[in-house]
Amino acid sequence: MFLQQLINGITLGCVYALIALGYTMVYGILQLINFAHGEIYMLGAYLGVIGLALLQAIHFAPSSPLVLVLTLALFAALIAALWGITIERLAYRPLRGAGRLAPLIAALGISIVLQNFVMHSQGAREKIFPALWAGSGYIFGNTRVSAVQLLIIITSAVMMVGLTLLVQKTRIGTAMRATAQDRVMAQLCGIDANMIIAITFAIGSALAGIAGVLIAAYYGMINFYIGYQAGLKAFAAAVLGGIGTIPGAMLGGLLLGLVEAFGAGYLSSQYKDVYAFLILILFLIFRPGGLLGEQLAEKV
Amino acid sequence: MTRPSLLRRKTGLGGTLGLPAMLLLALVGCSRQSDTIRIAVVSPMTGESAKMGEDISRAVQLAVEEWNQQGGVLGRRIILSIEDDRADPKDAVSAASKVVAQGAVGVIGHYNSSCTIPASNIYHEAGIPMITPASTNPMVTDRGYSSVFRTCGRDDQQGRVEADFACQALNAQRIAILHDKTTYGQGLAGEFRKNLTSTAEVVFAEGVTRGDKDFSAVLTSLKAASPDLVMFGGLYGEGGLIIRQMRDLGVAAAFLSGDGVYDPEFLRIAGSAAEGAYLSYAPSAEGIPAARKFLESYLKRWPEVGPYSLFAYDATNILLKGIELAGTTDGRKVAATIHTNSFPAAFGTVAFDAKGDPVVAPYVMWIVRDGKLVPLDGLPKPVHVETH
Amino acid sequence: MGANDADSPQGAANGVKDDSVAADHRRAFEALGAVALTGAITLPFTGLIGSLAIAVAAGLFQYYSSGDASHIKRGSWQPIAVPQIVRTLHPKLKGAIAAVFLLLLPLLLLQRYQIEVLTLGLLYATLAIGLNYIVGLCGLLVLGYIAFYAIGAYAYALLNLHFGIGLFAAWPLAMLAGALAGLLVGLPVMRLRGDYLAIVTLGFGEIVRIVLNNWDAVTAGPNGIMGIARPSLFGWKLTSPSAYYILALLLTCVAFYTQSRMIKSRIGRAWEAIREDELAAAHCGVPVVKMKLLAMAMGGLWAGAAGALFASRMTHVSPESFTFLESVLVLCMVVLGGMGNPIGVSVGAVSLIVLPELLRGAAGYRMLAFGLLLVLAMRYRREGFLPMRRLKLAGGN
Repeated sequence: MFLQQLINGITLGCVYALIALGYTMVYGILQLINFAHGEIYMLGAYLGVIGLALLQAIHFAPSSPLVLVLTLALFAALIAALWGITIERLAYRPLRGAGRLAPLIAALGISIVLQNFVMHSQGAREKIFPALWAGSGYIFGNTRVSAVQLLIIITSAVMMVGLTLLVQKTRIGTAMRATAQDRVMAQLCGIDANMIIAITFAIGSALAGIAGVLIAAYYGMINFYIGYQAGLKAFAAAVLGGIGTIPGAMLGGLLLGLVEAFGAGYLSSQYKDVYAFLILILFLIFRPGGLLGEQLAEKV
Repeated sequence: MTRPSLLRRKTGLGGTLGLPAMLLLALVGCSRQSDTIRIAVVSPMTGESAKMGEDISRAVQLAVEEWNQQGGVLGRRIILSIEDDRADPKDAVSAASKVVAQGAVGVIGHYNSSCTIPASNIYHEAGIPMITPASTNPMVTDRGYSSVFRTCGRDDQQGRVEADFACQALNAQRIAILHDKTTYGQGLAGEFRKNLTSTAEVVFAEGVTRGDKDFSAVLTSLKAASPDLVMFGGLYGEGGLIIRQMRDLGVAAAFLSGDGVYDPEFLRIAGSAAEGAYLSYAPSAEGIPAARKFLESYLKRWPEVGPYSLFAYDATNILLKGIELAGTTDGRKVAATIHTNSFPAAFGTVAFDAKGDPVVAPYVMWIVRDGKLVPLDGLPKPVHVETH
Repeated sequence: MGANDADSPQGAANGVKDDSVAADHRRAFEALGAVALTGAITLPFTGLIGSLAIAVAAGLFQYYSSGDASHIKRGSWQPIAVPQIVRTLHPKLKGAIAAVFLLLLPLLLLQRYQIEVLTLGLLYATLAIGLNYIVGLCGLLVLGYIAFYAIGAYAYALLNLHFGIGLFAAWPLAMLAGALAGLLVGLPVMRLRGDYLAIVTLGFGEIVRIVLNNWDAVTAGPNGIMGIARPSLFGWKLTSPSAYYILALLLTCVAFYTQSRMIKSRIGRAWEAIREDELAAAHCGVPVVKMKLLAMAMGGLWAGAAGALFASRMTHVSPESFTFLESVLVLCMVVLGGMGNPIGVSVGAVSLIVLPELLRGAAGYRMLAFGLLLVLAMRYRREGFLPMRRLKLAGGN
């Protein structure tokens, strides 16, 4: 049972981590809590279902479900990235330098808009994603790992390593870090800060889009409301890990997933969300910068 | 501060004060016309439960259209207001006051018991009959309001039917109970548990969060308790995921749930995992001509009938028939008429007791067989449960 | 149109000429008049008077609240063009007149629906004023504010259920409970920076809601507590919507008055200093932690008061009423109305309650429209509709 809960927790944690990455990247560069990010994840899940219908329309039938899911993930990532850029351009960019609260309210507005937009355009009913690997999985003694769980864990790991390399080793990553540290200075050094911010939004949204498709394949069912709860949890995960740091988001997501799985499994599932938030609060009280956050002195 | 900035500020003030004034102006209700009758359906049209609101308001709409085609009621055309309560108690009160202000003579709604209860205060004070198609909490009618009715059953009735089925027909010994921590889910699970006989032992009982998608953690612990029956109190979304994840984890126990899960959506979400699931619901409407007609015309326009669509259709017909029989739109007289008469409905004849609950709560067991919901053979004829 | 003009009171008000009114003032007033006149043509007479009364009364409040700021005094409410005689009255008297005027509103607004909506608006105005202490004045971003409201509501519900305590006796206790909750949350998180505080309070709000939903023995779980008594005063039961309206109004007025007094006091200035630059404030000798805790407690206090009234109005409290989205709604009221300004946040609260009601015509699309409005409002009025005036300190910049 312990191993099984570990697998459950890691899977859940990987999904939280994928969404949390978007929060943390945007926060790192703009100090903006992008509350609409959970809705991008929801859009990603819908894009997976829509993409599937499109593929069927053009009679594209990949040989293996793995190729199919990866194709859908790519499709969802692209469109979600476009959504991210558009939202940044229309709702957040005009508010840059307007303090913390105005963009926060705008983000909440966008979140309400997206949720209701999807409800009206796609219907209030659940959408079904067909079970691609029905029954297949690996059984070790009493513990079961399904194919989708493996896929989620592997994809997340690949994405996180890729993202870390991108941010640490490439020119774009350097520009991102520079912009995050001091936007004006970065601009003076010839970095197009607006471009970098747009790229950040695109990458974060693409990751959320991929998470959406994976979740659609995992649970087999999505609705227009899934972004709200996942967004809240992922935000908590990002803060838990130390908002603004990429490894922190991954660690925070995993930790949150494990706390939920073990809390629900060994204590009581009614209070599952209480454990998640309690851990968060305790962490912040005793380590206010989060798990991996830097303990910076207040800027004067 | 300089003079110009002062001026600008003040102009802003004038404009801003004008805003609530303008908003307020538009709040004033519509005027009544004597050649029409207004009824209202109030349910969640946005938010998490929007699908349920859609199911209910569509059915009411259809019923009203049918009545209007036959010349309306009392020779007057029926106008339907469709209102949204967002499944939020305070919105429910606002929506209720609005339909009262608009001059509605009867209300179908609300969906959530927690909305129905505060809203029914308003209807009661205004003397307007209210029939809820979906609020199964006993407290809805237990407060003694003479103009509050429901066409659905009560949690205590349904819980008993399910408990009897589990103990007698299935002879379950080790029972696990899950519920979604809502008024409905927890209420149903609680009544189920209360009515279990001593042969059955509850080996696992837990609440889950509505809206959650991942139940693998709680199901892993459930598996460790090795139950032979899992009872779930809640709605189709969570129900579908739970049975699916349960089977994925290799839990072979039987699955039993209630009317909230009775939805085509449940079959699709659960896929092949739904096979063999037991659900308590009203008896098949297929055999009743009125219901067949409703199902046909409903499916012609919209893809699917939800669990409470038929109850909403019945509620509308009962309300309008009540107005017709009373010969007036006076709410108190209509309510009295509904109390004293019985009405043909999609689930057979409906009559109400003094509280406003249906006298006979017709719950039977259904089973999922070959991907379809079918009434369970060999099992009863509507299980008649007296309310009191 | 002419007929309406003649027999509606704003026609008479329109006739009051004041040559000193600047062109801008006149334009603003005319715009208001135009709105009112449009209303007069299309809508019943009663609703018109009510809305005008609100606008006028809010203007009076604005004037009254700015009584100390001498540079604002002259003509700050001239756009409303109230007869000369009122202007010569003592400011306190004017406040009293304004209050009475608002009290009479339900008698003019005959329809129950408007009164119910306005009552809710006033209830949220109290909440918004409470949150304004925390977010608007002290600059602490709190995302779980509705938890204090829930605590107030459940405190009254439980006191009433178990001990039969009436609303008026329970009110101070509910306020105390809210304030204590504010302190309790505030104490451990005082050293957290803005956004961390936001998530901690968000977590606190969710925890409170989940506990209310799960602690069946005390809170009756998802069923909530039913049959909460309506208030009664000397044996006279206050059950009518008008009575609730007046109660909510009184509550809002007290909350409003307290806040506008506090803003002008040393405490208010200390809060503003913390909001603008915490470090500098600390070095200037402002007791930062104490002041922050005071803001949290004041916020909790008014949320508790509003919660108790809410519970008695609904006669039923259940956890559904206290979701994260409610916290967001109150935050929107504060930010859209104008952070720091009690008038602004009150107007914001009433508007954000009335607005979705107006959008009811759009049925399922109303939340879509609401979201769009939020985005647009931030795009074009990012400081809110009635931003706070900066207090001018002696020798300040």
